[in-house]
Amino acid sequence: MSLKGKLALVTGSGRGIGRATALKLASQGADVIVNFFRRRDAAEQTAKDIEALGVKAEVIRANVGDPAKLNEMFDMISDHFGYLDILINNAASGVGRSVMDVDVKAWDWTMNINARAFLLCAQRAARLMGGRGGKIVGISSLGSSFVLPTYAVVGVSKAALEALTRYLAIELAHEGICVNSVAASAVETEALKFYIKQGMISDTRQATPAGRMVIPEDVAKVVAFLCSEEALMIRGQTIIVDGGTSIAPFVIPEGDQQ
Amino acid sequence: MSVEEQVKEIVAKIVHVDKNLMTRESTFKDMKADSLDMVQALVAVEDRFDIEIPDEEAQKFQNFGDFISYVESRIAEKEKA
Repeated sequence: MSLKGKLALVTGSGRGIGRATALKLASQGADVIVNFFRRRDAAEQTAKDIEALGVKAEVIRANVGDPAKLNEMFDMISDHFGYLDILINNAASGVGRSVMDVDVKAWDWTMNINARAFLLCAQRAARLMGGRGGKIVGISSLGSSFVLPTYAVVGVSKAALEALTRYLAIELAHEGICVNSVAASAVETEALKFYIKQGMISDTRQATPAGRMVIPEDVAKVVAFLCSEEALMIRGQTIIVDGGTSIAPFVIPEGDQQ
Repeated sequence: MSVEEQVKEIVAKIVHVDKNLMTRESTFKDMKADSLDMVQALVAVEDRFDIEIPDEEAQKFQNFGDFISYVESRIAEKEKA
């Protein structure tokens, strides 16, 4: 699968799934725009690692939760490149609270970054893809369909992202733009430590039928597949990458089986 | 308006406190600010002065005085550059 000559924007690609995805696309020949919000050092490292693969990298800082900043980012892409082939909507944030503790501020912050930004990024990206086709992939999580502890507002934002994936897929189909999402279970990243307690991380590891936790590269591979021509007839779907966790709620660790 | 006054104004608006009650010794905790308030305050200050405040620096701030001093030093650095 070659992405040679393609230009990809990966939001939130300084760390975690975004970084792994940016590197995966770069390894297939795509030039990558690395967007970040809080950690410039991490984004610059990602860009350096991308360039080491022999392709181009650009770093752009923008809080995608702020429409003005998001638009400035796309204005820069538009002025500098004038086109875009791939958008990976990965940047995410959230407030880990029980549903009764979610206030307007936490709701807006999370929804604006995780859901509204997908709409706005996809709209701007689709215009830059105009006439040449393109791929858009959203990054979701199992919290969109399943209840995870203190994950209410993030889960809701991811459900919105998945619904938007379906609408975008259909409404942009005639422009040759493929839109899909990837939903991962708990992925071993820095962000995970922020959301859940250590004990739960080891529980998640044990409960994964595939025998280990999902790592960012597992997600990146599926994203790259969705960006390839092989996936052309997959439209508006959310592909779950969870090592089997979600369909096996009653898996018993091997040592405990009778 | 001084940097100190501007930072206070931004934080007061986010945390919903009277900015006249804020001193350099005040802390986010005193203002009953949560982690989201802190991130929003950092981002708003970054935007106002066109500077970057890395999270690891922000974690070192003991009070608003530290925050304001850091912002002033970043502005001075920017003006020098």
